[in-house]
Amino acid sequence: MGRQYEIPIGAQHISLLEPLHFKFTTENEKIVKTDANVYYVHRGIEQACCSKFKFRQVSFVVGRVCGLCSISHTTAYSQVAEKLLKIEIPLRAKYLRMLVIELDRIHSHLLCLSHVAENSGFEALFMKTMQYREFSMELLEAVCGNRIQYDFSIVGGVARDLKPQVAQSIMERLKKFVPQLDELMDIYKNNWTLSLKNKGAGAITKEDAMRLNVVGPFARAAGLAVDVRNETEDLLPWKEVGFEMVTETTGDVYARNIVRLRELYVSIRIIENIINGLPESALITETKAFPDGEATVRLEAPRGELFYYAKGNKTQVLERLKIKAPTFSNVAAMTEAFTGNEYGSAPAIIASYDPCLSCTAR
Amino acid sequence: MNLASYRKKSPWILHYNAGGCNGCDIEILACLSPKYDIERFGMINTGNPKQSDILLVTGPVTKRSRERLVEIYAQMPEPKVVIACGACASTGGVFRGMYNCEGGIDQYIPVDVYVCGCGTRPEQIIDGVVQALGILETKTKELEESVRLKKETVKEGKQINRRNIADQVKPAMI
Repeated sequence: MGRQYEIPIGAQHISLLEPLHFKFTTENEKIVKTDANVYYVHRGIEQACCSKFKFRQVSFVVGRVCGLCSISHTTAYSQVAEKLLKIEIPLRAKYLRMLVIELDRIHSHLLCLSHVAENSGFEALFMKTMQYREFSMELLEAVCGNRIQYDFSIVGGVARDLKPQVAQSIMERLKKFVPQLDELMDIYKNNWTLSLKNKGAGAITKEDAMRLNVVGPFARAAGLAVDVRNETEDLLPWKEVGFEMVTETTGDVYARNIVRLRELYVSIRIIENIINGLPESALITETKAFPDGEATVRLEAPRGELFYYAKGNKTQVLERLKIKAPTFSNVAAMTEAFTGNEYGSAPAIIASYDPCLSCTAR
Repeated sequence: MNLASYRKKSPWILHYNAGGCNGCDIEILACLSPKYDIERFGMINTGNPKQSDILLVTGPVTKRSRERLVEIYAQMPEPKVVIACGACASTGGVFRGMYNCEGGIDQYIPVDVYVCGCGTRPEQIIDGVVQALGILETKTKELEESVRLKKETVKEGKQINRRNIADQVKPAMI
């Protein structure tokens, strides 16, 4: 039995993109207990959405909840507002939304993978992954007009059409990206140095994942087949465009990396299917109605299940808007999965959770 | 040892998110990546405030992060330059007026360069950082200037006293 030491990490730390505070209780370098403090970036967006902004403006505000998955937030809000307005959006708008969500997933997953590599101490792999990620940012700029914060989904449809030249360039760039992804897959799977840091670190069992209500790649790495794309068909036709569930069994950092990389293959296939079979129709459904009643929407963001609840009262301003972000569901499991690991591998484990705290704190 | 040239040729960056949406943060990360490669200016992202020259802040200041922001700023050694990255760090942006937000970081710490845009493009960030390098140089010069030469000399009787040069000049007794 050694003495117990308390080691804090955060709120400002080189391995953290956002303010996040963990307090580890360690014993002989092993973590025995973890406290998490995630609410540094609470801004009060929900309250402002119900008082300051009209319901058509809110889709631009909720995009600023999180810069990494802003399209998921805008799409989820647009869907919930369309439910309140009781309108059906055109089919082309649905397909374009799915296209941008999947492009966003590619850039988000590659960012997370590069961050894991950096925090594991593999700087060269960080550079390589970031280099391969740039194509997705360029494509998002071509499709939506901005590298980040693309306000693509609006209430009733989408803001922009996909030009044929852009669609062609997406197909060309994806063809170039597939061999690069194979290369990354090879490194993340077979590199011996990386496996020392990643294999067995931050593991969580399937039962624990089920009990602690884990979502997203974190759950899928533990063998839990949860994906909103597999469950809902009413709002976005995911199975029509070739969605496939990806699961691993071990539940450690290595498994999370592999789940993310394999999901990229699925995303590439989905994007190719969407562009090949893009239906012709209008982009937006116009309506002069006001939101009324209650509605909920679930959507698969890059980090897991995103949940929106809204309540309208036949005025321009919503009565209530509730956002439940994927990382909020994962916080309990995040603190649990540290137990028994070396303190030195904590940064890599934090990065592998892919925590998005501006989503969580709103 | 020429400290000034080291500072100009390899300024180290400290990045702090004071409640932003991650958008500008990932663009700062993209600046470090091979396409934009901010390291050609000698810049390295460091996590230690005591080793850094340039503070890159993103996000409107939330009430919980403002103490950390001021603390980090106070820990950085002089000369230092602060860059406000993005619309919300400069003015509060879309978050201005929300109940847990202050509008912009310049209410708490002095800002030298404002970078606009939501979100900022990597080119803009690099441009802002290069501007900050010029400011860092002038700040270094100001810091290294002799204070004693600027002050007026002290007259004691018929003699000029240069030893207690920092003392206040006494009013003449007539």
